[in-house]
Amino acid sequence: MPTDFLGDATIQAVLAKLEIDRKKIAKRQTTGYILVGVGIVIGCIFSFIFGIPVFGVIAGIISASVGGYFLYNTGSDLSAYRNSFKIDVIGHCLKSLDQSLCITPDKGIYENEFTESQLFTTSPDRYSTEDLVIGKVDKTAFYFAEIHAEYKTETSTKNGTKTEWHDIFKGIIFTADFNKNFKSFTVVRPRDFGNAFGAWFSKNLFSITSKDIINLENVDFEKAFVTYGMDQVEARYILTPAMMERILTLNKQSKLNISLSFINSKLYIAFPLDRNCFEAPIFSTLLNPNLINEDINTIKFMFDVIKELDLNTRIWGRN
Amino acid sequence: MIIALIIIGLVLIFGITFYNGLIRKKNQVTNAFSAIDVMLKKRFDLIPNLVEVVKQYTNYEQSTLTKIVELRAKATSGNVSDAEKASLDAQLSTSVKGLMVNVENYPDLKANTNFLNLQSTWTDSEEQIAAARRTYNASITDYNNAIMMFPGSLFAGMLNYYPMSVLETAEAERKNVSAKDLFNN
Repeated sequence: MPTDFLGDATIQAVLAKLEIDRKKIAKRQTTGYILVGVGIVIGCIFSFIFGIPVFGVIAGIISASVGGYFLYNTGSDLSAYRNSFKIDVIGHCLKSLDQSLCITPDKGIYENEFTESQLFTTSPDRYSTEDLVIGKVDKTAFYFAEIHAEYKTETSTKNGTKTEWHDIFKGIIFTADFNKNFKSFTVVRPRDFGNAFGAWFSKNLFSITSKDIINLENVDFEKAFVTYGMDQVEARYILTPAMMERILTLNKQSKLNISLSFINSKLYIAFPLDRNCFEAPIFSTLLNPNLINEDINTIKFMFDVIKELDLNTRIWGRN
Repeated sequence: MIIALIIIGLVLIFGITFYNGLIRKKNQVTNAFSAIDVMLKKRFDLIPNLVEVVKQYTNYEQSTLTKIVELRAKATSGNVSDAEKASLDAQLSTSVKGLMVNVENYPDLKANTNFLNLQSTWTDSEEQIAAARRTYNASITDYNNAIMMFPGSLFAGMLNYYPMSVLETAEAERKNVSAKDLFNN
């Protein structure tokens, strides 16, 4: 699997061309922001220091409008620049890693699929997804995409209703065809305080859901995760001792704790991330040797999940 | 008076919750055991087809096939205890695994689609039985914890609830080749 993209002539040529576009966009955006800032400053100075608010407002509006025009005008170029980076640079790297890999920047995982995966208990009020990557390793088809799902809380204040947005999930959801058939579903969530207390309550007092807590034999796995399922036997059929070890290894490799669900003969893994992947910079150079390293590492990590979880072993009647 | 009533109420609620919990755990054990039984039956049902397919291609495995048929007949006769059934299944499993390892000597059989399907169904049934056994053992552990730990240990004896044994893997099974190895011939 080739990994040296920095020495790749095609990538270098594309980056050099995009760097020219980036500089133009950065210059126009900088001018736009400066003009908006100058407009605000002029407005304030004439209104509050010289006491000529009418002149201050007019001069401020003119300057800010010109600045706003510059920013608005950059919009389509910026979008084309970002798209070109994803398709021509990231897309090329994907093909170099494996011919089956392909990125569609404006597509993602549908909200209903995200909800049906049962990875999270809260339904999103705001949902965005992008950068769908699809591929196939031997017999196993997979895809992953960036997702940002949020829910809102509304509180009444004396100034009206205050709406706050909270993250349900921000990161990458990875989906692959699982190598065993199953009918019910099994969910593996990180053992945080909420999940651990919920599991204890369901097991020792009473359960308000139809899901059972699945207690597994692997002590490290039990320390890291809480497992829920509709069918005790099927959950163990999926989470064999070897599979639990593989999930633990995968979890250690991920910076933040992962969640998994097994549903409709598919495997879903949620990898939380604290950054936006595959985005072209505007105010820093594209020619930085470390620029695409992090994105490439993310892609390689996702590609290796199939191998890590041994999903290509197809000996259980599912081909 | 009110405090006394509250205490009696709490003791009553605790008693009912504890008793129901024990019943639930014991039922889970029964249920988990019946799941093993269902999986075993599914596996026993595969035997006639497997024997039929293998018979067409092999000349030298007759004694193994006869043994497999006999073991299956015994296991499904209905006159065997659960322990005997488990032992027969272990023997059956070892014999079939041995047979599948020998498939390398019969290229035509190895290429037969029916046989390949049966082979993967057999491997799948092994995995399902293993899962059912682990579920049974988890239920037993849960039940034993409930009756052996305080306060369960105070009442379990009075209710005739005694610890149960978990299923142990037979020594022969521990030494068996993995399911994956069977396909790497």
